[in-house]
Amino acid sequence: MKLARGLATLVLLCLAASSVAAADEEFKFDAAEFQKKPFEFSGYLELKPDRSWLNQDSAFYKLNFYARSQRDTLDQADATLKLNGKYTQGFTTINLRGSVEVKSDGLSSSRISRFDEAYMSFKPDPGFTLDAGKVALKWGKGYAWNPVGFVERPKNPNDTELPREGYTVLAADFVRNLEGDLKTVAFTPLLMPVSSQVNNDFGKPNHVNFAAKLYLLYHDTDIDFTWLASGSRTPRFGVDFSRNLTTSMEFHGEWARIFNVDQRLVSPTGSTTTTRSNVTNYLLGLRYLTERDTTWILEYYRNGTGYALEQAADFYRLVNNGLGQFQTTGNDVLLQRAAAVSQGGYARANPMQRYLYLRVSQKEPFDIVYFIPSITTIVNVDDRSYTVTPELSYSGVTNLDLRLRMMWLHGEKETEFGEKQNARRLELMLRVYF
Amino acid sequence: MKRLLISSLFCLLTAWPVFALDGTQLLQRVDRNLEPASYEMYRKLINVEPDGKRKEFVLYSVKKGRDKIVALFLSPPSDKGRATLRLGDNMWLYIPDVGKPMRITSLQSVTGGVFNNADILRIDYAAEYDVESAEELGDQYLLNLKAKTGEVAYDRLKMRVDKKTVLPTIIECYAASGLLIKTLRFKDIKDFGGGIKRPATLETDSPLYKNYKSVMLYSEIKKREFADEVFTLNNLARVEDLRK
Repeated sequence: MKLARGLATLVLLCLAASSVAAADEEFKFDAAEFQKKPFEFSGYLELKPDRSWLNQDSAFYKLNFYARSQRDTLDQADATLKLNGKYTQGFTTINLRGSVEVKSDGLSSSRISRFDEAYMSFKPDPGFTLDAGKVALKWGKGYAWNPVGFVERPKNPNDTELPREGYTVLAADFVRNLEGDLKTVAFTPLLMPVSSQVNNDFGKPNHVNFAAKLYLLYHDTDIDFTWLASGSRTPRFGVDFSRNLTTSMEFHGEWARIFNVDQRLVSPTGSTTTTRSNVTNYLLGLRYLTERDTTWILEYYRNGTGYALEQAADFYRLVNNGLGQFQTTGNDVLLQRAAAVSQGGYARANPMQRYLYLRVSQKEPFDIVYFIPSITTIVNVDDRSYTVTPELSYSGVTNLDLRLRMMWLHGEKETEFGEKQNARRLELMLRVYF
Repeated sequence: MKRLLISSLFCLLTAWPVFALDGTQLLQRVDRNLEPASYEMYRKLINVEPDGKRKEFVLYSVKKGRDKIVALFLSPPSDKGRATLRLGDNMWLYIPDVGKPMRITSLQSVTGGVFNNADILRIDYAAEYDVESAEELGDQYLLNLKAKTGEVAYDRLKMRVDKKTVLPTIIECYAASGLLIKTLRFKDIKDFGGGIKRPATLETDSPLYKNYKSVMLYSEIKKREFADEVFTLNNLARVEDLRK
């Protein structure tokens, strides 16, 4: 409650400041105020209280709460400080993007401090750049998913613009602009070491991984060819594209082939098996802006590494069997096994095979500028479960972003969104930039 | 016969000013008078709401040739580091937190308000429009322009050009349906140095946004040459490095 009162006070102060600023009617501009400085500093403070209404019949509620007191709701407060720094000297730039995040809910609290990015960039020529350090590379054209994003941490499809932590790499970038149908060619090779100390969550340690991206702007179409050689992860390659079909419609897609993918499956009795196969992931999407400023984003995602219906159902049955065993004997071996295998795949975002993503947003309705209501749905096409997230965002006050959203999860038993821990979630986000 | 020749010659002479007005050449002169072929500049973009409340953005832009332009947001802090690139009909937006360029369309607006992406990342008028007709109206020319392709934001423009300065004063922008989308008003002619003398203020309003207004203020427009590679997606995260 203290946090909520603090938020309200901060919003009122910012609104009052903006009204005072509006009183001055004259238009003035002196670019001298914006001269370049060797050191640039910026960032934001984000406060994000939320309440989750728990689905006590779901597998993930049972898995997370079997040894705790039962509850209907869970309140969480999340405060994040993001700091960006940039120092330029001649051809060399040092980039730092750090964050401190403090989370607290009724069960525990945590603090995470880390650099999302910390790298040195050397650019002796407009057509060549060398980056060394922790860099957040983002490959692919999809909004919700990126099958060709081989060297990045996965995106949260429920909040696609969240900053993500990078990996430590040595990356070069060669780019040439040309005349004719092929307007741009860019080649980005990179080396990524993986050891127990560096990039240790990427895959098997003691490898120096090689990856590359070739970008072409050909006939007004963006095309990328991506490749990750065998090393800490199995080899894979892919292609993506993006093109404006009209002044108001963009069309994009991604396709990736991954070799020797191991998939760990669990039976309702807790025995595990591992299967190996070559899989294909792909995504097709479009973005359309109507004459009334409504933006539609639609994507279809085929996740070749995802679980089939029966495979996911086996996991949910294991949790139910484990809970039965725990309640009758006090033995939680099966639940612990379920928790262990869930970390490898069943608990990740969108772990199944076919999804639809639809986001509809309306720019500035009722003549309220900087106000954007939107609604997003993610549908699991295999089991027909889905989420619906209406959202209101307002950025009319300089350096302040406000967002309120509610997520409903719906699905039958043994479906992805029917077995999630939450039934719904209300979240307020306030972000103050400096 | 002699009278016929004399009257024919008279007709030709009286019609001469009409033939002499080459709309395409005039439009090319308007483009070059507004900006050099390759340049850098700073702009402040102000969106004004009906109650007088404002939101301001400051952009650093560089342009090369007829259809290559990139713009970097310097202010406010919530938008700092965002960069937009236009190559002909192609446009992209780079948001630092998202970390990769996304294709955008000309009718969207990266700033909100009345200016859309085509206004903010404007390329030469002659690169996007053909002159359908040109006429003289007192101390002004009136150019009727038609978009070369369906990819252009406005299907038709009515451009009023001051005869003396050969600079636009008012441009009306129309959709293919004939609907007036917005009116652009060029004001406050200023000498920026280096032979660049042009309006320092561009105001716009739109019947689609009643009582709203957007204003663009220009500063420090300077001729400068850039490598072609500056205008690539790979460079969008590094536009800041171009500033001196």
